[in-house]
Amino acid sequence: MICIDNSEWMRNGDYAPSRFQAQADAVNLICGAKTQSNPENTVGVLTMAGKGVRVLVTPTSDLGKILACMHGLEIGGEMNLAAGIQVAQLALKHRQNKKQQQRIIVFAGSPVTHDKKVLEMIGKKLKKNSVALDIVNFGEDDEGKKEKLEALLTAVNNNDTSHIVHVPAGPNALSDVLISTPIFTGDGEGGSGFAASAAAVAAVSMEEERARQEAAAKKAAEEASEQDVTMTERSSEGPSGADNKKNEIPDDDNTLLQQALAMSVDEPASTQDLQDTEISDAAAEDPELALALQLSVQDSTKDSSTEADMSKLLADQSFVSSILASLPGVDPNDPSVKEVLASMQNQSESQQKQDEDQAPEKKEGK
Amino acid sequence: MSAAESATSIQKNQVDLLDFIDWSGLECLNQSSSHSLSNALKQGYREDEGLNLESDADEQLLIYIPFTQVIKLHSIVVTGSEEEGPKTVKLFANREHMGFSNVSDFPPSDTAVLSPDNLKGKPVVLKYVKFQNVRSLTIFIEDNQSSSEITKVQKIALYGSTVETTDMKGLKKIEDH
Repeated sequence: MICIDNSEWMRNGDYAPSRFQAQADAVNLICGAKTQSNPENTVGVLTMAGKGVRVLVTPTSDLGKILACMHGLEIGGEMNLAAGIQVAQLALKHRQNKKQQQRIIVFAGSPVTHDKKVLEMIGKKLKKNSVALDIVNFGEDDEGKKEKLEALLTAVNNNDTSHIVHVPAGPNALSDVLISTPIFTGDGEGGSGFAASAAAVAAVSMEEERARQEAAAKKAAEEASEQDVTMTERSSEGPSGADNKKNEIPDDDNTLLQQALAMSVDEPASTQDLQDTEISDAAAEDPELALALQLSVQDSTKDSSTEADMSKLLADQSFVSSILASLPGVDPNDPSVKEVLASMQNQSESQQKQDEDQAPEKKEGK
Repeated sequence: MSAAESATSIQKNQVDLLDFIDWSGLECLNQSSSHSLSNALKQGYREDEGLNLESDADEQLLIYIPFTQVIKLHSIVVTGSEEEGPKTVKLFANREHMGFSNVSDFPPSDTAVLSPDNLKGKPVVLKYVKFQNVRSLTIFIEDNQSSSEITKVQKIALYGSTVETTDMKGLKKIEDH
């Protein structure tokens, strides 16, 4: 159940184009993600300000209905957080499928007028009834708001099922910041929906970069030449580890491997493009990591120095397949692996032709 | 009603209904995640004094136990410590998905106020007539002996008998020749 803040404070333009618009975009994205990730998910929306708390749509899996109700929303009044959460709880109680887990997502953009005690009691009540709560703290940041919301989170949190995100004003859109948070990815669901979204892939590769940095930092003490191989290996393992968390398809090794490969292959390619930015970023954090990155970039460049963009990927393929061979349990001659590798190369027509035959076969097999 | 009965109130024909509990449908509201319902119900766990079912945010607990077949419930045993063990226990037969907010909406099928004897293992005999056709049982633990913040339940055992019903899960499809 999503609680929207449509109070007067939402007119402010510190989030582009306006707080309210940024919030609406984020809500639309969340609704889309939730309904896509599991067809049995339902989402409802209510507003907390205006004349009073008003439920716009009760939990439904019909995305069109949800998005339609977001149109024509008026800004005004003051947000009543406590009432909003309580009405949301009531709406969830009357959901049709009692087996569904209950969750409330609150957008707290205006100042919070309630006492910390009141919020804690509400949190306790939510926890007692096994309702999880996600809080998006944005907009106004008056004194005590952050502490109050954190107190609310601690009261309701049970085994990390509830989360809070503080989004400061700035160039990043509210939705972009939210995409990479557990609010979006939600306890392990939502993986398949993301594969399509380019924005999500960008955020995911950001996370992979972080995972890779962690892994690389560990190995930073060892020889630099070995580090390339290990780092790429680690990065394929790293993303598959992270993907595991995010995707509920751990059974299908091939899919994981595909995504891991996508990350590894994309990274050398993108690193070449954004060489300067990434290295300077990394350098800020870890000089050893910067050295490692440079080495890996140089390695890939060396491999493909004489060839065109298209062949760069081919070279990466041989590089990657040698990595694959070293990865346990992967046979590079496996047709599905070959298909994955080939699908990486959009421009390589001969490969594509060969694999077009394999792909429909494989797809049917799946 | 649940006045002093002899310890032999587990009469013949009353079996421990442990085997008929549908474990996949068990629910418990307000339980602490490290001290869950299985500590009180499962064979072995419930005998272990170190493993309890504990409440989380406050002292109330709402336990939902579905059965794999229809049973008649004769008595229950609820054990716990003298201070933190449950006191008032309300039982609802065949009510699905209750929440703390609707426990007062309808009267319970039976209420038991547990004495220290009960907490040591003496069974509470229930109003048998109310529990003739039970598909699911909801146990609402309203408070505990010393009104402390947390209620601790060491064991919950249910005694009764079965009514001959078909276990749908056991039905096998007839093979067409």
